[in-house]
Amino acid sequence: MSIKINVSALHQYTNGQQVVEVNGSTVGQCLDHLVKQFPSIAPCLFDKDGKLHSDIDIYANGKSTYPEELAKMVKDGDELHITFLIGGG
Amino acid sequence: MLTRDELERYERQIMIKGLGEEGQEKLKRANVFIAGAGGLGSPVAMYLVAAGVGTIRVVDHDRVELSNLNRQVLHWDEDIGKRKADSALEKLRKLNPRVELEAVAETITEANVARLVAGFDLIVDAMDNLPTRYLLNKVAVERNTPFFHGAVYGFEGRVMTIIPGKTACLECVYRGRITPKEKFPVIGVTPAVIGCIQSTEVIKYIVGIGELLTNRLLIYDGLNLKFTELQVTKDQNCEHCSHLPVKSKQ
Repeated sequence: MSIKINVSALHQYTNGQQVVEVNGSTVGQCLDHLVKQFPSIAPCLFDKDGKLHSDIDIYANGKSTYPEELAKMVKDGDELHITFLIGGG
Repeated sequence: MLTRDELERYERQIMIKGLGEEGQEKLKRANVFIAGAGGLGSPVAMYLVAAGVGTIRVVDHDRVELSNLNRQVLHWDEDIGKRKADSALEKLRKLNPRVELEAVAETITEANVARLVAGFDLIVDAMDNLPTRYLLNKVAVERNTPFFHGAVYGFEGRVMTIIPGKTACLECVYRGRITPKEKFPVIGVTPAVIGCIQSTEVIKYIVGIGELLTNRLLIYDGLNLKFTELQVTKDQNCEHCSHLPVKSKQ
């Protein structure tokens, strides 16, 4: 299954690619595949226990995946978007 | 009723279909509370003052520092050390002396937020931290006051308009999460873009034209010059707004 992930500000960890193609049936599997391709991105997404950082939101096809998040099912052609909580002004 | 001077000053926006003299009168009668006179607060205040919003209160407790000047365009080199409230008031009065302006040098807290926003029909979020944003969101929901959110980081920004009881609020989307309190990177053009979108929303709301940025979180990516719209929905368990009856969508 081919899923596209927009990595937002994390493109510095994906050789400049803004959108990365991954495989997986859930958001978690897709992120795991992203990490497999670009291992240095892992600490930006997950804490040491493998939990998604609390300041990250994952949107699937423009809709929030909360509260399922990593367990959210995805299908071929879906598009994921990683966003970070920001608070500057 | 608009004066001859006002008709001339606002001529070019009065020409806009759907705005007209009636819309300009609505702007004149409107009052807006702007929380912050920094990176976001500068463009928000400048464009609302320029557009002829009748009454504006700006609140900021800080003093102008040299490192503010790359983005906080209301404050200039000569203002270093001055209170931002005073510096902002001075510039805004020169920009449009017909606007009733007030600048308050106070820190927005749980204890004073209700007093500070009392009497204002719209609240603009131009803060630099999430905890104060949640305070403002909560008071906006409690008072049924439209709330215009904006935030920036580096070349990125976020914008969303909140109509209490009708649309998702800030707490629905961010769920009380905060970011570490630290100096954040930012270049002036980012709050300029985001602040102008917030001002656009405020003007549209007052005049009653266009479609508001409600139930949509707009993500601005300045580096790739892309805008992404994400759908957000009212959280039925939201600590701030779930008690409100759901009204028709804005």
